[in-house]
Amino acid sequence: MESVQHKHPPYLLIWLYLFLLTAAELGLAFELPISRNLKLLLLLGTALWKALLVAMFFMHLKFEKWNLRMLFIIPLPLAVILVLAVITEKIW
Amino acid sequence: MTTADARAMQPPFPAERGVDAYNTKLGMWVFLASEVMFFTALIGAYIILRFGAPGEWARPGTVLNVPVTAFNTFLLICSSVSMVKAYASIADGNQKLLKFWFLVTIICGASFVGVQAYEYLHLIHRGFVPSGVRDGSELAELVANGTLPGASLGLYGSTFYTMTGFHGFHVTCGVISMIYLYLTKVLPGKYTQQNYGGVEVIGLYWHFVDLVWIILFTIVYLI
Amino acid sequence: MTTVAGTPGVGHTHHDDRPFIRKYIFSTDHKIIGIQFLFVSLFFLLVGGLLAMQIRWQLGFPNQPMPGGKLLPETMAPDGVILPEYYIQLVTMHGTFMVFFAIMPLLVGVYANFLIPLKLGAHDMAFPRINMASFWAALLAGLVMLSSLFVPEGAARAGWTMYAPLSARPDLSGAGLGQQLWCVAIILLGLSSILGSLNYITTVINMRAPGMTWFRMPLSIWALFITAILGLLALPVLSGAAIMLLFDQTIGTHFFDPAAGGQALLWQHLFWFFGHPEVYILILPAMGMVSDMIANGSRKPIFGYHSMVFAIIGIAFLGWIVWGHHMFVSGMNPTLGSTFMVTTMIIAVPSAIKTFNWLGTMWRGNLRFHVPMMHAVGFVAMFVIGGLSGIFMAATPVDMHIHDTYFIVAHIHYVLFGGSLFALFGAITFWYPKMFGRLMHEGWGKVHFWLTMLFYNLTFFPMHILGMAGHMRRIYDPTMYDFLKPYQPLNHFISISAFLLFAVQAIFALNFIISLFRGAKASMNPWQDNGLEWTLPNPAPHGNWAEVPRVYRGPYEYSHPDTTEDFLPQSQKLPGDPEPAAASAAGH
Repeated sequence: MESVQHKHPPYLLIWLYLFLLTAAELGLAFELPISRNLKLLLLLGTALWKALLVAMFFMHLKFEKWNLRMLFIIPLPLAVILVLAVITEKIW
Repeated sequence: MTTADARAMQPPFPAERGVDAYNTKLGMWVFLASEVMFFTALIGAYIILRFGAPGEWARPGTVLNVPVTAFNTFLLICSSVSMVKAYASIADGNQKLLKFWFLVTIICGASFVGVQAYEYLHLIHRGFVPSGVRDGSELAELVANGTLPGASLGLYGSTFYTMTGFHGFHVTCGVISMIYLYLTKVLPGKYTQQNYGGVEVIGLYWHFVDLVWIILFTIVYLI
Repeated sequence: MTTVAGTPGVGHTHHDDRPFIRKYIFSTDHKIIGIQFLFVSLFFLLVGGLLAMQIRWQLGFPNQPMPGGKLLPETMAPDGVILPEYYIQLVTMHGTFMVFFAIMPLLVGVYANFLIPLKLGAHDMAFPRINMASFWAALLAGLVMLSSLFVPEGAARAGWTMYAPLSARPDLSGAGLGQQLWCVAIILLGLSSILGSLNYITTVINMRAPGMTWFRMPLSIWALFITAILGLLALPVLSGAAIMLLFDQTIGTHFFDPAAGGQALLWQHLFWFFGHPEVYILILPAMGMVSDMIANGSRKPIFGYHSMVFAIIGIAFLGWIVWGHHMFVSGMNPTLGSTFMVTTMIIAVPSAIKTFNWLGTMWRGNLRFHVPMMHAVGFVAMFVIGGLSGIFMAATPVDMHIHDTYFIVAHIHYVLFGGSLFALFGAITFWYPKMFGRLMHEGWGKVHFWLTMLFYNLTFFPMHILGMAGHMRRIYDPTMYDFLKPYQPLNHFISISAFLLFAVQAIFALNFIISLFRGAKASMNPWQDNGLEWTLPNPAPHGNWAEVPRVYRGPYEYSHPDTTEDFLPQSQKLPGDPEPAAASAAGH
């Protein structure tokens, strides 16, 4: 059974990325004089980006087969459907 | 890309192909899918309640301590990096580095729980409790003099403690599991370059817990 | 009976010297765990039935002292007359026990555990110890739920659907500890279910024997696999909701409390987002097992195997986006309501496809009406009735009138009793020899089937009529309304039928118990079925096969032109069959 030496993804670089994105979020949340809705959008986008980095590189989803990725992806639309459907109660 | 050698972790009998992931790894991914739905219920309830909240929601930083939690977030992200470094170490066959990075992960994880426990005590002292604001407390005064919007604080308390509390519970379970693995498998050198599935699998759980916190930190503390 | 050539490991058991407690009590063997679930679930089925008998007493003989009622405490039934406060507990706990502790574990806990490794050619589940934990968590949950019946203030009483804010406010409902115990039990059950699901999913994906490709799996396994995915993703939402409810009751949170900004409808949305996939969890395994039994009883391949698989997947997929049809009268957003109406209508289609395929399977088959076949065919008939009443309810304008009436109660019981429970009677009979090495008595099985079919229809069909007349659900005394007074004789009739229905189940219970000791010893394959489990001795040994079998064909090769027998097991090699690729590729 050969054990294969593969190159690892650049973990420390990703860590730096995450650190910078977190700092950016803090700046965004407290310093930037932009409209509330834009702030919301940017903050959510940044959070999702960070989450994606962790999933893709630390959890190695980027390098797994598509069928394993599907396993994790399937619940996500369900989550979105639940939240969106119930929000319509109050905002429609 | 290395993933723990699939054939070493397969049970010693033939089977149809399935997904190219050994049983414990597949099992962990399946479990994480259920955890996504669990946090969806809690976080979803928060989003729904906040959208429909009567009156304003307290502005970020006025009730919760953002600087301390930002540091805590940094700590958790560091623990995620150390965990993946531990995994990479044993994938390269390096026992010493595995022990080092694994221990760093445990320490960072335990510290996260410690800081969060401290934060909870501090908040409760100030008067922020799951039912909202405690009468006669410091926060109750802020509500009385109009600095804090009082109508939605009951929801704020309910959602904050439930979401962060269950996340903290998951982190604690992770730390305990890691301590157990450290003592029974990592220190005695039971993981090898051919057999390190346990590190990969606990790593997946740990990264997931970090991922949930990334989302929570943003939507609970910063919005 | 042809000897099965080329099937390795038949009859070999490795020496099993585990102590009694590891073999039968704290066992990690999937078959023992399945049997443990069977005994515990049948007990809770009895509990649910006893609760139902009390409900029917009150409805059929309102405000009269119940036989045996003197055993109940004064606070619940003084002089044996059921009080409204007790009645609502009966209704709540009947639903709770039947759904969560009887039907769900009978279908999933028993048959997913028992059948999956056997029918796929695996030695055991992927995670045997987690499997054991799943059983003990479920048992603990059941005991906690049972204990809630005996606390001083009584059990939870907001209906099995536990709507807030009634369920969140002990000052409104009168139930404090009992309600909290309900929440704790549900959370524990959710954990058990999730642990089970992850086992079933991993095993089905990764542990199929060489040659057991996806489209050679029996439909019972497909159904159990898809059900496990539903459970995996739906139960956590229920657990989350139950946690929030528990917190509202105990630590003062306000999730469902409108006075503090919470939303009562939030509970309904969360509960039904779980609740609708849950009802598919309660029917899909039954459909899968019925497919196996009908193919066996017709001595023909299942008609439209692929469309059956896609129908199961379609039902599961659509089942996530129909939950609002339980909430048409809740005051939710009407546009949202219309969306749910459309999706609910659509979901009737895959169920109909399955029904036609069962009929197509039976058409011109060499029909053998053994007891499992009778129950399976009975399932199809009863499920059609239940499904048709569902179409009425799917149409929102109609539902406005029949929601929360006995029309709904009729629908529920047609699909859960006429559907799931009939399938279970058939399945228990069918796999009994594999579990216990003996056969249940065929004659008494037929008597039980016909009497159950009779009294069951006499009990539940009239409920459609009551519902259309406006008889509401969960009502304590229908005679308080003038417009319902003319229907009281029907209530009386239903109650008598229900008592007879319950009594008749003694035949099944006695058949089950007595056959354990005095039943005819079963040959290896008494039903002449094609599944892999029938190539093992009865009862199946620990570890199942000494060597993993090879699979050469699909599961329903009955009346195959190349054989003298009218069945052809999946692992029997015919001269022209190629070896499965996976057998050599894995190479261990």
